[in-house]
Amino acid sequence: MKVASRAASGSRSGPQRFLSGYGQELIVTLAIVVLFVVVGTLNPRFLSDNNINSIIAGNAYIAVAAIGMSMIIIAGHIDVSVGSLIGVIATIAGTMAVSGFPIWMAWLVPIAISMVINAGVGTLVAYTKIPSIVVTLGMLSILKGGLISATGGSWITDMPPEFMIAQFRLFGIPSSVYFMVVLTIIAAIFMRLTDFGRAIYAVGGNIEAARAAGLNAERTVIGVFALHGLFAGIAGILFATQLQVIQSTVPPNLELTVITASVIGGVSILGGIGSVVGSTLAAILFATIGSALIFLNVSAYWLRAVLGLMILATVLADMLRRRRSS
Amino acid sequence: MNPSMLFRHEAILALLTGVALFGLAALSDKFFTPGNLLNQGRLMSEVGLVALPMTFVIVTGGIDLSVGSILGLTAILLGVFWQNVGLPLPIAMVAAVVCGTLAGFGNGFIITRFKVPPLIATLATLALYRGLAEGISEARSVRGYPEWFFFFGQGEVAGVPFQLWVLIICTVTASVILGLTPFGRATYAVGANETAARFSGIRVDATKLWIYSAAGFLSAIAAVIFVSRVTTTRSDMGTGIELDVITGVVLGGTSIFGGKGTVVGTVIGLVLIQALKNGLALSGVKGDGTIVVIGAVLIGAILAGALFDRNRGGS
Amino acid sequence: MNKVTLTFALAFGLMTGTAMAGSAWTGGDDQPTSPLACDATPATMAAKPYDGGSPTNPPDRAGKKITVVDIPKLIGIGYFNATSKGIADAATELGNVDAKTDGPTKANIDEQITFIDNYITSGVDGILFAANDPVAIAPVLKKALAAGINVVGYDANSTPDARQWFVNQAQFNGIAKGLVDNMAKEIGEDGSFAIVTSTFTTPNQARWIAEMAAYTAACHPKMKWLETVEAQEDNALSFNQATTLINKYGDELKGIFGMTSVATPAAAEAVTQSKKCGNIAIVGLATPNAMKPYVKADCVKSVVLWNPVDLGYAALQVLRSVSDGTLKPGATSVKAGKLGELQVVNGSEILLGAPYTFTKDNIDKFDF
Repeated sequence: MKVASRAASGSRSGPQRFLSGYGQELIVTLAIVVLFVVVGTLNPRFLSDNNINSIIAGNAYIAVAAIGMSMIIIAGHIDVSVGSLIGVIATIAGTMAVSGFPIWMAWLVPIAISMVINAGVGTLVAYTKIPSIVVTLGMLSILKGGLISATGGSWITDMPPEFMIAQFRLFGIPSSVYFMVVLTIIAAIFMRLTDFGRAIYAVGGNIEAARAAGLNAERTVIGVFALHGLFAGIAGILFATQLQVIQSTVPPNLELTVITASVIGGVSILGGIGSVVGSTLAAILFATIGSALIFLNVSAYWLRAVLGLMILATVLADMLRRRRSS
Repeated sequence: MNPSMLFRHEAILALLTGVALFGLAALSDKFFTPGNLLNQGRLMSEVGLVALPMTFVIVTGGIDLSVGSILGLTAILLGVFWQNVGLPLPIAMVAAVVCGTLAGFGNGFIITRFKVPPLIATLATLALYRGLAEGISEARSVRGYPEWFFFFGQGEVAGVPFQLWVLIICTVTASVILGLTPFGRATYAVGANETAARFSGIRVDATKLWIYSAAGFLSAIAAVIFVSRVTTTRSDMGTGIELDVITGVVLGGTSIFGGKGTVVGTVIGLVLIQALKNGLALSGVKGDGTIVVIGAVLIGAILAGALFDRNRGGS
Repeated sequence: MNKVTLTFALAFGLMTGTAMAGSAWTGGDDQPTSPLACDATPATMAAKPYDGGSPTNPPDRAGKKITVVDIPKLIGIGYFNATSKGIADAATELGNVDAKTDGPTKANIDEQITFIDNYITSGVDGILFAANDPVAIAPVLKKALAAGINVVGYDANSTPDARQWFVNQAQFNGIAKGLVDNMAKEIGEDGSFAIVTSTFTTPNQARWIAEMAAYTAACHPKMKWLETVEAQEDNALSFNQATTLINKYGDELKGIFGMTSVATPAAAEAVTQSKKCGNIAIVGLATPNAMKPYVKADCVKSVVLWNPVDLGYAALQVLRSVSDGTLKPGATSVKAGKLGELQVVNGSEILLGAPYTFTKDNIDKFDF
């Protein structure tokens, strides 16, 4: 595993270093701005409050989940079960709310459960050297099947209004947006400035070097999985409270969407590089693209092809940028 | 490579599969009949064919998430070439398979030329190829194939389903290539340490291009068989097959980090999964329960394998 | 970087270009349509000879206990939970049927075929199904018939020769007429509307949309179709798509059709959260429970559906009659327990009856 070198050589100027360090985030932001300008010119309703709100608020939970996913990937691991996990969290939360538990419990207990499950996965990964993709592949099946078994396929409706946290508004903006922004900032500071955050980068970059430097790699791995569980849990609560109904299934390919958001946002799948800010921006970019394609009247039959092409283009652009700056 | 270490995981897996087969046969007397077993062989052929090149892919330390989309795209192209373009059906079949192989080559190209990590590249092509299938077909199915075409998916040769023969032949071929040829050794070398492999003169990029193209090729063959089995084409065919394939390959002992794995292991892994899916259903377990069991078996089997390695002092 | 951007832009432009050359009403299939008359003339149903399949050497099941499996398109949505309940109710009432529901978690033919195959091997006496694809499911159903198993379909048909009977909730053109007439009543003869469907490849939805297009062209030619979007069978996706439509068209959008029992409540929620209740009409197919909040809030005036519980109930009753030998090819009607006599149409289809409209006045009477 290569050692990540964020601090470039001393022969480059400040702005150049900033660019190479945050290049991907800038590209993603640029893409979002370009989209808004182009589509907004063609159809001004794209820029309306309602639309921007629905683009960002409706997909904020994906950004929150991507924060945790980015941490995992930076640490050199991956979780392909996050989609099913969000479904399980949402169902537990909804069931608790409907069964009369205090609202704060319906919010916090599922998050705690998510952290415990993921800490368990982390322990397995840290101590047995089983690749995380394998463990989470198995978890994917267990959670998905378990969810159907537990709910019998039925939906949860009639949840108390006090429970619907994602729909609370402050100054007209749904709370899920605030969650997304605040959590991203906290996570970014955490990753950059705390010892544990730097440990995550170190373990992902070169685990042996990290151990040699005195870090407890196993504890770091378990910790980052628990953190991922925290963010996935919050995402699950937001997902549960966005709509009046909780299905026993989640949007198809949700885990791939979350992973793609992290990766497009600049997190390197090889570990050790990336930022959570990038993944939040990428999640917003995806949501924007999804809406833009409809506003632009792209033939409905070709929507997914265009999306795939865009992902590919962004990835290629990123690779070329990396090669040029290294 | 120590032969006894190599066979450790496959041996455990074979044992586990044997136990599972016994257990399932005990739970239902309809499980261990020739008719059922041959039928299961027929049903697992598509996943099996795709799992063969996937073994190579994962042994090189890569992954291919787009095989399901390539399957769907090939299926659509088969219909389009035959009905819309008007090619004779055999030519349409060949043309569709060529396109599927090109799609796989595309994956390999993006991975080798642009150095995009395989997970990301195939994540993008998963969407792109599926999108092409949806766009080209415009949600129309193609039906009305001639009777002879259904032989590939529904016919039998000497009492054994046709696609099972195809699977057996391909399995033997893949096994020989991976285990006994220089190409196979190159595959292992690339997975074990790509830089060292490059320095020792192995043509790493060419190897990868061949392997990803093979994944496209076999996904396309699986598509033809699938269309023949269900007598129609749909743009959503093959959705989700990549997870089944990867589960089978990983269960079979191929390390996701690369450098280790066998075709035999993959096949045993697939047999175990198919047996569980079928046997559990026959003994009354519903679909959701079966999914949970398979997930647990995956984790359990890998855990068992890892623990055994630890005991022997392996790393 | 330049080459990549250029290729990307080119491809994007190409896609958008071909996009403009779209056809009428995205989401409809290409089979012939037969719109009903614009007034209330009931459809004339020509008599057709029986065209269903038949099992090979079925054992004598008259009066005996039978095991039946119900394999819907997918499990986990309210609609098929309701049909499953109907099947269970009929089983309890009949007393000599052991019925269970099992199916894939995604509306996918690959898995559905495997489920059916397994149950054939396990030796069930009867199979009820709702097909994800009419042609793809045919080979495995024929295999069931060849094994002497009785096969009856409901909700989504297969090719006729692959099953013995099909319980049809309502004719495609009847559903189309009901939906479009309701929409015209609410948004006026020159209103504009959009459609939220599951996928373009789902056969029932594609048929309905095609019939709706034909009926609208004939009877409400000034109504304007704006767009059709896909939302799989997912609640969150349906909501997002509906919201995007509302944002995109602004005041131009007067109505949304929900083509699945998932899309309609999600569209209603989108209209509610966009504060457009009363401005945008929601007309669609949905289960009453999902729609109660919106109907009571006057956001949705009426919900069209047949009773899926009755649909499941009728399907099992038909299967029992077939197993007992009391329903034979060529029959013109069949007694389906508490539903009374149901008509046979189109050769081997059994009609459940007219679609049911749930409104504020009657929606509380139902719990599914």
